[in-house]
Amino acid sequence: MALKSHNDRPESKISVLLVEDDPLTRERLHEVLSAAEFEVTSAATLAEASAVLDLPDRAGPNVLLTDLQLPDGHGTALIREVRQRFPDTEIMVISIFGDEQSVISAITVGATGYLLKDAFPADIAAAVRDLVAGHSPISSSIARFIVRQTQGQTKATPQLPLNTAKLTPREIDILWGIAKGFSYADIAGNLGLSRHTVPSHIKNIYRKLEVNSRSEAVFEALQQGLIRL
Amino acid sequence: VTNLLTAQRSSPQPQWQNFARAQRLGIHLLVQALVVLLCVLLLRQPVLSPPDDYALTDARLAQDGVERDVTLPDRSGKSPSGAPLTYTLAFNAGIVAPGHPWSVFVPRFMNAVELAVNGVVLLDSRRTSLANRPDRNTPELVPIPASLLRDGSNSLTIRLFVWGPLGGFLDRVYVGPDDELRPAHQRRTLLFVTTPTILSAWHAGLALIVGIIWLMRRHEPYYAALAAALVLGFLHAFAAVSPTPSPLAGWNAVLVASGALEASCVLLFMITFLGFRWPTWAWLVFLPGLLIVVAGFGGPALVYKANLILVAPTVGLSLIATWLAIARTAAGRLDPVALLLGCGVTAMMTCLGHDLLSLLNITSDLRTFTARLSYSLLLVMIGIGLTWRFARALNEVDGFAHRTATMLSEAEERLRAAFAQEEKPARAAALAAERSRLMRDLHDGLGGQLVSIVALSERKGRDGDPIGDAARAALRDLRLVIDAMDDIDGDLMLALGMWRERAQAQLRPHGMALDWQVRSPAGLPVHPELHPWHVLQILRLLDEAVTNAVKHSGATRLIVSLETVEQAESRHGRITIQDNGRGFDPFRTNAASNGHRGLVNMRMRAMRCDARLELTSDATGTRLQLDLPTRFPDAEVAGS
Repeated sequence: MALKSHNDRPESKISVLLVEDDPLTRERLHEVLSAAEFEVTSAATLAEASAVLDLPDRAGPNVLLTDLQLPDGHGTALIREVRQRFPDTEIMVISIFGDEQSVISAITVGATGYLLKDAFPADIAAAVRDLVAGHSPISSSIARFIVRQTQGQTKATPQLPLNTAKLTPREIDILWGIAKGFSYADIAGNLGLSRHTVPSHIKNIYRKLEVNSRSEAVFEALQQGLIRL
Repeated sequence: VTNLLTAQRSSPQPQWQNFARAQRLGIHLLVQALVVLLCVLLLRQPVLSPPDDYALTDARLAQDGVERDVTLPDRSGKSPSGAPLTYTLAFNAGIVAPGHPWSVFVPRFMNAVELAVNGVVLLDSRRTSLANRPDRNTPELVPIPASLLRDGSNSLTIRLFVWGPLGGFLDRVYVGPDDELRPAHQRRTLLFVTTPTILSAWHAGLALIVGIIWLMRRHEPYYAALAAALVLGFLHAFAAVSPTPSPLAGWNAVLVASGALEASCVLLFMITFLGFRWPTWAWLVFLPGLLIVVAGFGGPALVYKANLILVAPTVGLSLIATWLAIARTAAGRLDPVALLLGCGVTAMMTCLGHDLLSLLNITSDLRTFTARLSYSLLLVMIGIGLTWRFARALNEVDGFAHRTATMLSEAEERLRAAFAQEEKPARAAALAAERSRLMRDLHDGLGGQLVSIVALSERKGRDGDPIGDAARAALRDLRLVIDAMDDIDGDLMLALGMWRERAQAQLRPHGMALDWQVRSPAGLPVHPELHPWHVLQILRLLDEAVTNAVKHSGATRLIVSLETVEQAESRHGRITIQDNGRGFDPFRTNAASNGHRGLVNMRMRAMRCDARLELTSDATGTRLQLDLPTRFPDAEVAGS
């Protein structure tokens, strides 16, 4: 698959870097996003994606949409790199099931949302637009996983180094509401918040769950008992 | 007394305790005083004697060639030469009616008598070994052959043999009709001969029991002490005293003089039985008894001499020590056994005192010794005390066994609960591991392929392509399976929270809005018994309802409401799905259509979970109400 790049994009267009190894899915997403007036660059491997990011006089994409299982490595490496080099880029994971294994591992390196691979075209475009607008979606199963982690209950998946120590009780309440399927309005009502502040709380949650640097990752791993010195 | 006890328990101040102690001791002493009084009254009862009319008191005593007049009872003591003392008495016999013979009754003598009426010897008590025992009050009654009696004056000659360390003694002698004398004789025999024999048998039985207890419980040596005392007492009762020399006479005498040893054993028993420590120096109390045994080598005379010196102090000391120990116990706690033993010891002390006073000729007594008899009664009381304590210990063991059984079953329950608690996370971990494995497999295989089918179907540019829809439906179902396998701790709300997102995504392309209403504060009740397969049945049922609404209803709005229905005794969850579509007739749906099969499936799923499904449909829309059970079944409810 040849590299598609659009260097001369207009200022108004949102640039999307799409990294997906399955050609059918990649083409479909590319078409859907292009049709929604996004400026899309596709890559099939980590190497291709890096090549796009390394192009001279190019700012980072507005949005990175990446699969995790790639032929030449794991998507989390790419997410970490983009997060460090282009802090303003919004990052989303493409997942078949939206399961916590994929999503949480992406969140800890800086992703703020996920997209199901079979999502309807309208939903795909809407999700990317919401993300750029600062609305990070969080699914109930992910919210539940995080809440469980705060209660020290998820011993079953120790491979996910998720540090929830920084979460405030209010943020944990919001996550519980989401896990139980309450709407943002319900949650806001129950917690005495303004409905519009819930998405920003969720964004904060994502930020707090991110492991910012390599040394911090090691520290977190130690905290979680994953590494023994 | 109960008040006293309660007061003592509720107020632990030392003053109160001292007061309660003094009160208990006072009660104990009062009871003992009553026992002494009772004993004295009993001992002062006129000894069982025939009517005074038949008593002979004036006698002529010939001793070592010297003759003098004496009045019976006579305590002339020992004759220096060892020759018998000869008492000659005269009595008048009237006409003896046929069938009413006369008798001579000698109620008490020491050590042996030979009776002769008108020169004919009728009785020699030396031949009756038991009668020779100075510590027994054996009476003798001998009928006088009618042919011997003369009208008018008759002579009765009594030769008194004295060999003991104690002086000789001859009580008043009775001569008269047998009918008049015999009742007194029988009563004396019953009291001083038969009763000790019965008690001896009792001692033997108790000795056997206590000995066996000791054999089985060597760490309780007081049983051995009691068994030893009982065996000695038994042997003592049947030891004979023979005035004729024999090689075994010395050892026989030791048995007769076993009092000191018995007293030591009983003391050892009492002290340890009452829970006191037996100090080492206290073994000295056995010294007198052992000295008497050693004296056995020197023959009976030495034994009796040693006994005379040692027995009274040893028995007295033992009694006093026992009495004090019991008093101390009685002051410390309310103990019926201690009270009973205290009464026995007090009674025996009183009897011993009476015997000593009698021996020392201080009281005008007829030398009936009661100490041995009271000792036998004390042993009976000890037996009662032991049995009492034994029964109480058995009760305690029963209570303890019951408590232990209760505690054991409680511990077992806790252990089982702990096991279940430990098993639960392990099961959850196994489920989670299985779930991630399944998810990885589906990622690599089926999931990816289905996504590709969706992509392919859309590339053809046909929106709403049935192949794409089918692939999406398959993906949706895969996600349901994965969701259902997640550990939600019985909180169905968590599973529904996940399902809500899927349903929303499914409805959105069709322009249908999902209105999610949680009507009870907590939504649905939590079901700890909830299994993944319950969750899957419910999620698929709801999915089927949403799919039906999408395909057939033409609705623009779908309301899903969750609530907890509180009824009289129970509460259950209710899930309602309502659309604003055109509705359908549930009874006239084409049997072959997908819609019908969908309905059948939904009913089947509801039934498997023991849930109740109600479906109503009219022109304003379709309403599905799912009432969850109060408790989900452990196994699938068989379908019909």
